[in-house]
This record gives sequence, C-alpha cells and structure tokens, in this order.
Amino acid sequence: MLIVDDHPGFRAQARALLAAAGYEVAGEAADGESGVRVARDLSPDVVLLDVQLPDITGFEVVRLVAGEPDPPAIVLISSRDASDYGRRIERSGARGFIPKAELSARTLAAVLEGSGQ
Amino acid sequence: MTRRRRALAALGIALLGWIIGGEWVSIHQHVPENHLIDAIGGPSFLVAGLVALDRRPRNRMGWLMIAYVAVSYLGNWGNLQVAVVPMIGTPASSWARRSLAQMVLSYPTGRLRTGFERFVIGTIYAVAISVSVVILLAFDPRADGCTRCAFEPAPFPNRHAVLTAMSAGQRAGFFVFLLLIMALWLRWRRATPAERRGLAPLWVAACIYVLVGLMGAFASPDTTGQPFAYLVWELQSVLQIGLPVVFLWGLLSTRLARSAVGDLVMELDRPLLPGELRACLARTLGDPALEVLYAREGLEGWVGADGQPGSLPETASGQRARTVTVVERASQPLAALIHDPALDQGLVRAAAAAAGMTIENERLQAEVRAQLEEVRASRQRIVEAGDAERRRVERNLHDGAQQRMATLALELAMLRDRASGDPAVAASLDRAAAELKQAIAELRELASGIHPAILTEEGLPAAVEALADRSSLPVWVRADFDARLPGPVEATAYFVVAESLANVAKYARASGARVELSRRERDAAGGGDRRRRRRSRRQPRLRAARA
Repeated sequence: MLIVDDHPGFRAQARALLAAAGYEVAGEAADGESGVRVARDLSPDVVLLDVQLPDITGFEVVRLVAGEPDPPAIVLISSRDASDYGRRIERSGARGFIPKAELSARTLAAVLEGSGQ
Repeated sequence: MTRRRRALAALGIALLGWIIGGEWVSIHQHVPENHLIDAIGGPSFLVAGLVALDRRPRNRMGWLMIAYVAVSYLGNWGNLQVAVVPMIGTPASSWARRSLAQMVLSYPTGRLRTGFERFVIGTIYAVAISVSVVILLAFDPRADGCTRCAFEPAPFPNRHAVLTAMSAGQRAGFFVFLLLIMALWLRWRRATPAERRGLAPLWVAACIYVLVGLMGAFASPDTTGQPFAYLVWELQSVLQIGLPVVFLWGLLSTRLARSAVGDLVMELDRPLLPGELRACLARTLGDPALEVLYAREGLEGWVGADGQPGSLPETASGQRARTVTVVERASQPLAALIHDPALDQGLVRAAAAAAGMTIENERLQAEVRAQLEEVRASRQRIVEAGDAERRRVERNLHDGAQQRMATLALELAMLRDRASGDPAVAASLDRAAAELKQAIAELRELASGIHPAILTEEGLPAAVEALADRSSLPVWVRADFDARLPGPVEATAYFVVAESLANVAKYARASGARVELSRRERDAAGGGDRRRRRRSRRQPRLRAARA
C-alpha cells in the first residue's frame, strides 16, 4: 500500500492503523507528483490518496496513475465530506472515498470490495 | 483703429497702388492678357491676405498671399520699358505662380509640416529659378522681334536656349505636379476629420488648378497664336482668383460656426439628460468624437458624465490626434473638452463659455455619480474581501482543526482496538470517538457553511448539484453554462440557492424543486448615451435560482 498525504501526523497514524490490521505499507508521499512517481516505482496494490495536496489535486493524481499499465486500486481520503466534491469522485476513476476520520481496516476493505462508497 | 490695423491699411493701400500701377503698365504696353481677370485676381489675394493677417496674426497664409501679390505684379511692372526692370519682372510672374503651390500645401497655417512637403516646394522653386536664370542670361526681346523693347540685351542672347529652358521647365513641371498631388494626398490621409472638413473646398480648387497645370505642361510656353496654350493660361488665371475666395470662405465658415454657438445657447435652455451636453457640444463644434470630462472638486483626476473615471488623451498624431481644452471657472478646472486639434480654439472657447452653467451643473451631477460609483466599488471590495476571508477560514479549518481531529480519530480507533480486553476503557473510548465524530461533522458543516469547498474548486453548477444531492427533497438542477464566474457572484448565487432550498424543505410542503442557472450578458451601466454604452463593461448576470 502507498499512502499519499501532506500531513505527516496523519500519514503516521494511518500507517500504524493499517499495519496493525495486516496491511503492508510500502511507501509514503507528501505531494501529488512524488505520489505518482512512487506509485510507478513501487507498483502498490492500493493507493490511499488525499484529495487536497499541495501541488496537484488527488483527482489529477488518479488520472495520472490510472493511466499506467496495471494500475493500483485508488481510495480517496479527505477531512471533508464526499458531498463536498459532488460527482467528481464518481467521475475520477477512484475505487471509492473514505472520510479521514472514518478510516479503518474495515472501511477500507469495504471500499476495496466494492461495497463501500 | 489699432496701430496694427492702421499698418495693415497702409500696406493694403500701397499694394493696391502697386496692383493698379502694374495693370496700367500692362494696358499701356498693350500686353496681350485678360486685364479684367488680372485686375480682379490681385485685389482678391490682397483682401484675403489682409483679412488673414488681421484675423490670424500668427498665421503665415496672410503673408504668403501678400507676397504673392507683390511678386506677381512685379511681372506686370516688368513690361515697363525701363532698363533692368523687365529682366527682374519677366521671371517674377513665374515665381509667383509657383508660390500658389506653397499656399495650397501649407493651408491653413501657412507652414509646411513634413520633409516631403518641403522637398516638393523646394523642387518647384528650384525648377522655376533655373529657368529664370537662363531667361535672364539669354533672353533678348529685340532679337526676338520686339521693336518697342528698350531694355538692355541679355549677356548671352540665345533664343533657342530660352525656348528650350522654358519647354524643359514645363516638362519638369509635370513631374513636380505629380509630387504635389502625392503630397496633397498624404496630407489628406494624415488629416483629422475636422482638418479634412476645413481643407476640402481648398483642395477641390487646388486639384483643378493642378489639373490645369498638367495641361499647361503640354501646352506651348508661347501663348501667342496658340489657342490651347492661351486657354490654359486663362484657366489658371481664373482659378487663381478662386483660391483666395476659398481661403476667405474658410475664414467665414469659422464665423458661421460661431453662429452655431448661439443655437447652442438656445438648445441648452432646457433640462438635459446625463451626457447630453456632450452631444450638443459635439454638434456645435462639428466634432462627433468630442468628449467631455469633469474635474473632481478637491480631487485629482477626471470623470465622465456617468461618474466613471476618465483620463486625458496621450499625445497622438494623424487622424487620432486629440487635444484638450480645459474649461475653468475662478481659475479652477471645471471640465476638459477633448476634441480635434484642428478645431478653432476661439470657437471651442466660445462654445464652452456659452455652455458654462450647464457644464457646471453636469459637473456636479458627475461628481455625485462618481461618489455613488465609489460607494458601489467600495461595497464590491467589501464583498470580495469577505468572500476571500471566508475562503481563507474554510481552508484554515480544513488544513488545521479538521486534519488534527481526523488524526485524533485514528488514534482513538487504534486505542479502542487495543482496549478491547477492558470493557470500561473500551466503552469510554467509544464515547470519546462518538463525540469526536460529532464534532468533526459539526466542524465540517461549519466550514461548508462558511464557504463550500466544491464552490471554490468546481464552480457554481457543481456546487448547486452537490446542494441538490444533500437536500431532503428531490431537486432537479439545470445550468446552461460551465464557465467560472467571479467569486462573489458564485458565492452569492450559491447561498441564495442554499437558503431557497432550505426554505422550500421547511415551509413549502413541496414534493420537489427545480433550480435553473442561466447566464445573461447585460449592460452594467444600463441605457444612456453612446459614450456610456461604449464604456460599460459586459458583465455576467446570474439569474437567481427558482425553487
């Protein structure tokens, strides 16, 4: 798994939470462009991707990563609500969306299995 | 009578004597020419020249016309059979005729403006002087059959050389005329509209004169026994009378324009619509592009009749050239008339004086409108600042408190997993997590209420669609545009729709709602005169949502 988020505290907590649930967090990135680069280098199965990044938006990262061969499943996260992004999440090509405060192994699994948001 | 006018009168009397004397010499010597035309042509130039010197002391046209009279009648005096005089008089009429080209090209100021114009006039004089030098050296009238000619023979008498020089001079005149036409055309191209109006009659006459001159270039230089050459020569003489008449007409047209100032006074004796004064002045002065700006009392800068800031024009030349006449009252600037530089300054001042009270009134109205405009702009700045501040607060909440609370929620979730063996701690952590979740939701609502992120990032249609998705009622949204609008416009429209949908949900007992977003172009300044319409910006107008 790759975590792309510009808040180090959140990245650390998410890594610990998901590692405790058995996920292998292979890498982290603090902005969109390095997220795309690391995703190409590591070829993770899942990318946990913040929508608001300092350089490009998470939607743009989804577009770039999804264009790669054998793309990973991308799950968007944000401290905002899904409704704040309207239909953009649906159109982005991401597997789903999880509000940051609700991130857990269970919600992530639900999204990856297609029963989540 | 002033000293200047006395001097002009004396000059006029002297030159009239010069004309009559010259004509008497021609008649007495039986010179074959139309004495009537000759007798009219000189005085017409003299009168026009004196009037020009009186009315426009700094204008060189008057002196050019006076000089023309003096030199051209030197030709008549040249018929006097006195030693030396004929030798000077013979070429004089030729030089005088060339000076007409200078008058035409330098009208109405008497000054040549460009290097090309100076080159053309210089070439004309050079050709005339060259021919004259040959005549002075080689013309022997007695050898040419003049039994009554009493003056000294030329140093190198040569009839063939004289005829060749005159013929070559006239052939060269053909090309010089072409240059003159080109110079006139260039002058026309560069002239402002008012200059063109003033120059048009003169140039019509000048073009006819040039045409006759071209014909003359192919006519025999010796008119004796040559009907065509004589006709051309007579035509030139008649047109020479026309030129000063045209010039006088130019002077009189200024006087006629001044009579329009009287009409302006009558026209202003009624309430005017904002900006109508400009149209009245433009009509009176014959400058449709005239603009009027008003001075702000105690402030720098100028405003239009609609209160919008305006600026005085930069220096320009050619057709776009404009000049500024500042209208003052008690040494304080009242208004600035931006007009064609070719307009008569006296006429502009007269019109401004006639419209003084109306200008004052319109200035006061413009002042009020400018103040209203400042209030409106200030209000807009406040709205924009408020909008920017709301965006900043929302962004800070998102980047600060919301992030920390999200991280805290993950921390609590991890602690909850570890405390599963202790039910009391687990229950406590569950309560804390629930409280935190509620706080996060409330904070998110607060942030969204301050300024929704989707509005910032996606624009109005997407934000309204998101509103519709969150509404408790079925809401259909239709927008006929995707483009972004100014932030305050989007925010205002968004909150109008949000409030409307909330009210529908609360009070309307409706089964659904429809929101239509459309964009209309409108004239921000409303109706009004042409200048206001030209100045107004095309601003988007958002049709409010219907719910």
